Amino acid sequence: MLLPLYGFMEGDTIGLLIVADEQESVRSLSEKLRDAASLRADGSGYMDVVYRGIVLDPDSTLAQADFKPLQRFDLRRNHGLSESRDSR
Amino acid sequence: MLNREDWLPLARKLDWEFSYTTEQEVFPPVISGHPWLPHSSWQDWEEAFKTSYREYVQNQHEKDMAVYAVRDAVGRLENVQSLATPWINGLKIHAAALPLAEFTGTIGNLRGARFGRDSAWRAMACFGALDEFRHTQIPLLLMHELVRWNAQFDWAHKFYHTNNWFAIAARHFFDELTLGQNAIEFHIATNVILETGFTNLQFVGLASLAHEAGDYLFEKMVTSIQTDEARHAQIGHPVLALVMKHDPDYAQYLIDKWFWRNWHLFSILTGVSMDYLTAADQRSGSFKEFMEEWIVDQFFRTLDEFGLKKPWYWDIFLDELEIYHHMIYASAYSYRSTLWFDFVMPSPTDRKWLRQKYPKYWDDMDAVWKRIGERWKAVGPGPDKESSVLGTALPTFCDLCQLPLSAGTPRNNTANVLAYEGKDYIFCSQPCRWIFLREPERYASHTGLVKRVLSGEAPADFKALLTDYFRLTPDTWGKDVYAGDYDWL
Repeated sequence: MLLPLYGFMEGDTIGLLIVADEQESVRSLSEKLRDAASLRADGSGYMDVVYRGIVLDPDSTLAQADFKPLQRFDLRRNHGLSESRDSR
Repeated sequence: MLNREDWLPLARKLDWEFSYTTEQEVFPPVISGHPWLPHSSWQDWEEAFKTSYREYVQNQHEKDMAVYAVRDAVGRLENVQSLATPWINGLKIHAAALPLAEFTGTIGNLRGARFGRDSAWRAMACFGALDEFRHTQIPLLLMHELVRWNAQFDWAHKFYHTNNWFAIAARHFFDELTLGQNAIEFHIATNVILETGFTNLQFVGLASLAHEAGDYLFEKMVTSIQTDEARHAQIGHPVLALVMKHDPDYAQYLIDKWFWRNWHLFSILTGVSMDYLTAADQRSGSFKEFMEEWIVDQFFRTLDEFGLKKPWYWDIFLDELEIYHHMIYASAYSYRSTLWFDFVMPSPTDRKWLRQKYPKYWDDMDAVWKRIGERWKAVGPGPDKESSVLGTALPTFCDLCQLPLSAGTPRNNTANVLAYEGKDYIFCSQPCRWIFLREPERYASHTGLVKRVLSGEAPADFKALLTDYFRLTPDTWGKDVYAGDYDWL
């Protein structure tokens, strides 16, 4: 199932529509957003994918991470944030 | 024959009691507005100008002749062509946004002319409608001459008839403000908030910049329009006074709602023009400084006058003054092909000025411009390289204000999602979310651009979105004014 999602990369000035398959990995989702935001913001280096306040395992699928359509996800640099990490 | 001093007060305040119907049937609450009060509560409605129709026609004729005189002297095509290109593109934004928006003001005033609760109010609203019709005609007339030279000026008439994302946002705003509004809310929202505050900034502040830019036609046009606004904007204040007396919570809500709605739209119209499309040496101040002088001070005086409180989101607004239009401009630059005017990148000199005027978040914005500049350097300048310096994914928009999800800062975008009655919504900010939740019956059924694309109503193919849905063409869609060929890159 395709999931249209609102993606926000730290350093960028606007939210972007990122469409992914629920069987794609969180890592793949991250790469899509980095590429889409690349004109305005530097997505190099490691960035956490944060969804509903949880830092996700890059290897989990979007379905496993319980992504739903038209929800927000973020790419954030790890500044020592206090969000919980998803160890699924 | 009676003297003017004798007949005008009589004519202005001529009302009557209804024999064959009820006052409520003549002035239904749904279109007259809340609170519904008998005429006895409204009969002392007054304003300072007390104009007769004869005086109105005479004054307006003189104003029109003055505008045409300036047009004939310094407003011809060759005069406009000599202006700086970035300023000309600021002109295109206003050329599109202004005329048909003013026409919606005609409709709103006509609603007041029929459903205003006192005869003097209704009379003033008649003049207000004529004013707004004038404000429709003048820019259409003046911009018409420019269309053959530059097809982007055709958007003076075309804009509101397209599904361009900015037109969707502007229509959403004006539909609620004027076309679909009851008389009381129309006059409070339009006269007290929009006209006393924001268009004062637009017309007076921009007129000053226009003068510096050498655009005497635009200067004359907007200052002439503003003289009408100053008169008919007086309608809303006595309306607000009575609403405050009978339902102060509702009055506060209207002020809070409309200040926020106006703020987002005007920060784009005016902030972008002032801080990016006016040459640095012609800027007499920053957009933030203009806002503080023309809007904030005036707004506080209005709040004091009526015993209103500062809106609950005031700290959010003050923070947005530092950053919002910068986020929007950088985003819009990277999606400039979705709009009908051209853009410039801020130069190092511009960025130094912007840092000085907006120090709080400028580091984050400077990083964005640096990155865009690096892309131009990598691909090289030239019109054929435009597409390499454009965003690729579909940008997203607030389900209330319909403007880009560009609120907050680059480190902390304030977009927030909401599930409401089985549907998902996203808002750029807490105030937009709050407005939605106060009147969901008004807003919930509107479909924003992203959902139109997802449903197939709007094309998913980007080029088709531009041409078939936004009604742009390769000649009219926005580009970088210099095609990336900046000396300083």
